[in-house]
Amino acid sequence: MAESGQGAATALAKDERVKEISGLRKALIRPELGAIVGTIAVFVFFVAFAGDSGMFNAQGVLNWSIVSAQFMIIAVGACMLMIAGEFDLSVGSMIGFAGMSIAIISVTLQWPVWIAILLTLALCVAIGALNGFIVVRTGLPSFIVTLAFLFILRGFTIFFPQLIERQTIIGGIDDAAEGDWLAPVFGGKIGGWIFDWLAEMEMIAVFERGTREGEPIVNGIPMLIVWALVLVAVAHVVLTRTQFGNWVFASGGDAQAARYVGVPVNRVKILMFMFTAFCAFVFATCQVMEFGSAGADRGLLKEFEAIIAVVIGGALLTGGYGSVIGAALGALIFGVVQQGLFFAGVESSLFRVFLGVILLFAVILNTYIRRIITGER
Amino acid sequence: MSGFDHDPIVEMKDIAKHFGPVIALNGVSFDVRPGECHCLLGDNGAGKSTFIKTMSGVHKPTRGEILFEGCQMNFDSPRDAMEAGIATVYQDLAMIPLMSVTRNFWMGREPVRKIGPMKFMDFAKANQTTMDEMRKMGINLRSPDQAVGTLSGGERQTVAIARAVYFGAKVLILDEPTSALGVRQTANVLATIDKVRKTGIGIVFITHNVRHALAVGDRFTVLNRGKTLGTAQRGQITPEELQDMMAGGQEMVALEGSLGGTV
Amino acid sequence: MNGFFKTMAVTAVAAAALLGGTAAQADGERYVLVSHAPDSDSWWNTIKNALALAGEQMDVEVEYRNPPTGDLADMARIIEQAAASGPDGIITTLADPDVLSGPIRAAVDAGIDVIIMNSGTPEQAREIGALMYVGQPEYDAGFAAGQRAAGDGVGSFLCVNHYINSPSSTQRCQGFADGLGVELGNQMIDSGQDPAEIQNRVMAYLNANPDTDAVLTLGPTSADPTILALDQMGLAGDIYFGTFDLGGDIVDAIRDGVIEWGIDQQPFLQAYLPVVVLTNYHRYGVLPGNNINSGPGFVTADALDLVSQLAGEYR
Repeated sequence: MAESGQGAATALAKDERVKEISGLRKALIRPELGAIVGTIAVFVFFVAFAGDSGMFNAQGVLNWSIVSAQFMIIAVGACMLMIAGEFDLSVGSMIGFAGMSIAIISVTLQWPVWIAILLTLALCVAIGALNGFIVVRTGLPSFIVTLAFLFILRGFTIFFPQLIERQTIIGGIDDAAEGDWLAPVFGGKIGGWIFDWLAEMEMIAVFERGTREGEPIVNGIPMLIVWALVLVAVAHVVLTRTQFGNWVFASGGDAQAARYVGVPVNRVKILMFMFTAFCAFVFATCQVMEFGSAGADRGLLKEFEAIIAVVIGGALLTGGYGSVIGAALGALIFGVVQQGLFFAGVESSLFRVFLGVILLFAVILNTYIRRIITGER
Repeated sequence: MSGFDHDPIVEMKDIAKHFGPVIALNGVSFDVRPGECHCLLGDNGAGKSTFIKTMSGVHKPTRGEILFEGCQMNFDSPRDAMEAGIATVYQDLAMIPLMSVTRNFWMGREPVRKIGPMKFMDFAKANQTTMDEMRKMGINLRSPDQAVGTLSGGERQTVAIARAVYFGAKVLILDEPTSALGVRQTANVLATIDKVRKTGIGIVFITHNVRHALAVGDRFTVLNRGKTLGTAQRGQITPEELQDMMAGGQEMVALEGSLGGTV
Repeated sequence: MNGFFKTMAVTAVAAAALLGGTAAQADGERYVLVSHAPDSDSWWNTIKNALALAGEQMDVEVEYRNPPTGDLADMARIIEQAAASGPDGIITTLADPDVLSGPIRAAVDAGIDVIIMNSGTPEQAREIGALMYVGQPEYDAGFAAGQRAAGDGVGSFLCVNHYINSPSSTQRCQGFADGLGVELGNQMIDSGQDPAEIQNRVMAYLNANPDTDAVLTLGPTSADPTILALDQMGLAGDIYFGTFDLGGDIVDAIRDGVIEWGIDQQPFLQAYLPVVVLTNYHRYGVLPGNNINSGPGFVTADALDLVSQLAGEYR
């Protein structure tokens, strides 16, 4: 838990049976500790082994930042939902589905892109709500319910473009998005002037030829990264500092106990399913706006990558415990390792080995921390 | 003891509760007055849980009426009962171990400061109040953001009781608060019950342990097979009589004989 | 905690050992090949082998990268990443120009020479500024195969598409249908990647549509289970069976007369030639004046020996 003692503890008379715990130990017992240690370890490792490979030049940093930001966006949703005690395995399919929905509405139906985006938002959040509604109404494990939606959504994502366009990839969204007011919120870049200036100061590389000759290789921070940071910040504040955040913890910690004291557990859970769907929607929209096309294969296995990032970040699979900051760091580790192994020249198939090892360490370390916190023996 | 000159806070009249073909309660009458500890005794399956869930708004009675401070009440949810002032501390569901004491204490009734559309929890106030209330109950917390999981079973019950008292409970229902505790922790919880009773709150103490009941109870009602077997005043009944009533009389006498009167 | 750090240290040492192995040729040219194939696609093994062989023969450093699940958006990241690592050249497929043209063009503009191989067309390659295209235009190959089948009297067919997400695989089926002069319609099935599922779906389709003249598979992933399916249904050798690409079982089936022909796009050349071309371009400034068509070549029961000997490895 992130709130501090606020000085109340110091005013009390000491009970001789309450053992003092050192400040260090107290600082250590937080859910995101494993992720913090992991992040430091990962960066030390790659600075040592891939420091001069281009991983830490502007382009390289942008590359792993984008990949990490993608993970972060879906990890934030998965984290909040997992703390509320549920899973969503349909995230990856939702990403493909949302992208395809935008493509069909804007390219095939020729409607304005902003309408496509807003309709898709409504659709995704509604499906999230349906997921949540079925879970709380039937009492079935969310694992099963969302697994069903994994297949349902993926099936539609392949079926509709096949039916309408006779192919599984719909392109041309970038042309449709030309001049649209909403599209740049997802596909745009900000802070270009910083990079122009950096390029002028010869601190980052510029294109050597082609139509963009002389422009900096990195020409702005993609909105994807902005979305990731904003989502992490908002979710963290909501979770740790608001009444609703307390309800999220309570719903996942013990739904029955929470109900007995009047926490609207069902509403909280359904809202978290909707939030997870929203995160998938943001992921998909950023991707579609950047690449200008939607494909039926987008987002495959992303649900597991999100869950892995959350678990590395210290959340408990059984719910009621976790941290958004931890999940964000988990996503960062994930992205940096995935991209960094390439820069370090490691055979790419070994990525999975590293991932497994990190996951195992994270879970073991987190179990240990949790024992300290809860005093389990 | 105090309380007998007062009108009951809650009065349950001839309550019946059927779950499909199963008759869980079949005409139970029960009341609790301010400042008294009314013990509800009964063996497993006697209907104690169903009865308190009816009282706290989880179940709706099939028949019978509930009077709260003289007015007929119809609780739709535990929340309604809580708003009215009936707080329940459940045996196993009292606390969420992974959450801090403060978060547990305020769960469902968080003190908020509104900033725009966001309802922020006022942690300064929440922590201070939690520490103060726990100290009143005789527990010095290491810190309010200590997880409830680090507390002992008795301490957890105490947090739950302190929470109910702080939020203005007029009636406090304790569901087997001592059943999973050691001797020393039981004593602490019983002492807490005594403290709370003296503040004028009516306590419904559910237990199947006659000695725990006799230690703090003012009145004793025994439930057997969904019916009340009567209510006794403190000092009018012996532990043996209580034990017999709980078990439904005869069989227990026979059993007790064979076990040498130790049960 | 101590245990944790100790294990981390061990992992680091192990990783360092791995790094030592691959970074040995750091002074030569470095080329990265990026494919769109998921890990499960065995056909790309030939590409990997040919790439390694070319690297060895030309004495350059080569690397193979692919998106593990076949997600093309991930592939775009891999191209960006490859560009960031500053190689001398990138050899990549152009499975979806919408997704990949941005990153590829950025790599070209950053001064990296790019050759498009396998998926894509010569026009698309020119458009994004690649040096050349090495491969087999998918629609044209499908069309040629369709014409050939039409000549053999085929009027209806089943296209077993195991990679339905990729537009190029759909183009093969479409080309085949157009070559036959029939509507594609429902004759293409999404078979998935699992052998048992593919086998059962093929059997289900053929049971439901008994008058199907021909089966077209798009590679070993779909061809191998289809061979089994036909075997079980007693249709092996009876139904007209053509496939894209070669593999061990496909070659055997061609010899046994189960498969009429395999369209060999000669993946070996697709990986090998770009490395040779790029190396010579960087060393001596020489560059062929045109694109290179590595296929289509029809492999039939005649002259199978060398193919069967090297199938799955270099053929």
